[in-house]
Amino acid sequence: MNRHLKTICIFALSSLALSSAHAEKLNIATDATFPPFESIDSSGKLVGFDVDMMEAICKAAALDCNIFNAAWDGMFPGLVSGKYDALVSQLTVTEKRRQTFAFSDIYDHPIFRFVAKKGATFDFTPEGLAGKTIAVQTGTPMDAYVTNHIPQAQIKRYDSGSAPFLELSSGRADLVLGYQAQIAHGFLNGDSGMGFELVGPQLTGKDAKEFGEGVAIAINKKNTKLVEDVNKGLAVIRKDGTLNALMVKYFGK
Amino acid sequence: MNWGIIGENLPLYAEGAKLTLFLAFGALLISFPLAVSLAFVRNSKVRALRYAVTIYTLVFRGTPLLVQLFLIYFGLAQFGLIRTSILWPWLSSPIVCVLIAYVLNTTAYSTEIFAGGLRHIPVGEIEAARAYGLSHWAQARRILIPAMLTRSLPLYGNEMIMVLQATSLASTVTLLEITGVARRITLDYYIQFEPYVTAAAIYLTITLVLVTIFHFVQRRWAGYLDPRSS
Repeated sequence: MNRHLKTICIFALSSLALSSAHAEKLNIATDATFPPFESIDSSGKLVGFDVDMMEAICKAAALDCNIFNAAWDGMFPGLVSGKYDALVSQLTVTEKRRQTFAFSDIYDHPIFRFVAKKGATFDFTPEGLAGKTIAVQTGTPMDAYVTNHIPQAQIKRYDSGSAPFLELSSGRADLVLGYQAQIAHGFLNGDSGMGFELVGPQLTGKDAKEFGEGVAIAINKKNTKLVEDVNKGLAVIRKDGTLNALMVKYFGK
Repeated sequence: MNWGIIGENLPLYAEGAKLTLFLAFGALLISFPLAVSLAFVRNSKVRALRYAVTIYTLVFRGTPLLVQLFLIYFGLAQFGLIRTSILWPWLSSPIVCVLIAYVLNTTAYSTEIFAGGLRHIPVGEIEAARAYGLSHWAQARRILIPAMLTRSLPLYGNEMIMVLQATSLASTVTLLEITGVARRITLDYYIQFEPYVTAAAIYLTITLVLVTIFHFVQRRWAGYLDPRSS
């Protein structure tokens, strides 16, 4: 009898240990509608710069990471509620976001550009863009910028990173504001991007605060340990050239 | 809990509710005469006509509304022929696309509801109409349509409520109806519970009003069909 009890206790303890080990696995969400940063390839696999980089960071910092696709409009609330441990989705660090989330060190400084039909000319002033239809992804720096600086334009907001481009191809939108790398390597080099080109000024955080400080990995504010770990991993892949090699692979820079 | 944010955004919800009601009742108003007419065609003696309507209702009841909406909004836009046609100014508008999708969808369901009601009219009523020497048009207007509608009321009431809830899909094509407003707040303030609970409460309120109206309509016009209490 006693021995049985002992066995049961050992079983209970070991399963407890197992479940806590299981909880160590980090849930990292990405919005895979954003090539070349994150997208789903034809075989259903998650691919892209952010995905490769995150995997490299996890390896360097010995973290057990599970990176998966999640809906854009549920990502931030999911991070707050603890459903996700971190988000890697070409997220711009802004003052407003810093109030709610922690961020890793910045890993890139994106340039934002407009894209339009070849040959179309625009006057890139708030007055010049009055009445033009500009498509953006909701809740992004691009959305915040056009909302605050070009309110005279007709702004169309979408839940995914790819829908604004569909609307540009169909002619429902005159302009899309996006990450230059996203436009150049995710849209213009594809079939649907034929006949379109980058237009207007190169915009960065220096031009408007909505474009933020750069892009980083968002982490739950309470999880300071994870911020440290991720930063450690980031430092390693920066030093050993992995990060640079990924930049060259995806953006040729 | 962040109910303050919801309070600040109540005007947005009011705008959203207006758009939701416009979409739901716009679609229902356009679809009603179509469905009543198609219900007769659905029971027509001409086999080709009957089959044509059957295929239409089968296709639109057999595919999800969201897929229909995406096909009309994103799918059609892919064809250059449509983009250069005179229809494009209409088809490029999300409101028009949503209305087209909802009208096609709810007309399919309503047609089947009304056609069923038509088949359940007691033969005696129709024979009586004929015996009085009423013309086909007078038979339809004074006997068949009223009898069909009163028999279809409970089911049609359900369909109206389904259309109301289905308007939430319009948020996927940029329209800021009630669900669209909730999603917008989610993305701006990073909260999910409060905006969606508020949206749910608004839908529930509208549904309660509809159900109450239906109760009275049912008693007033279809009361004669109820079993008599002894």
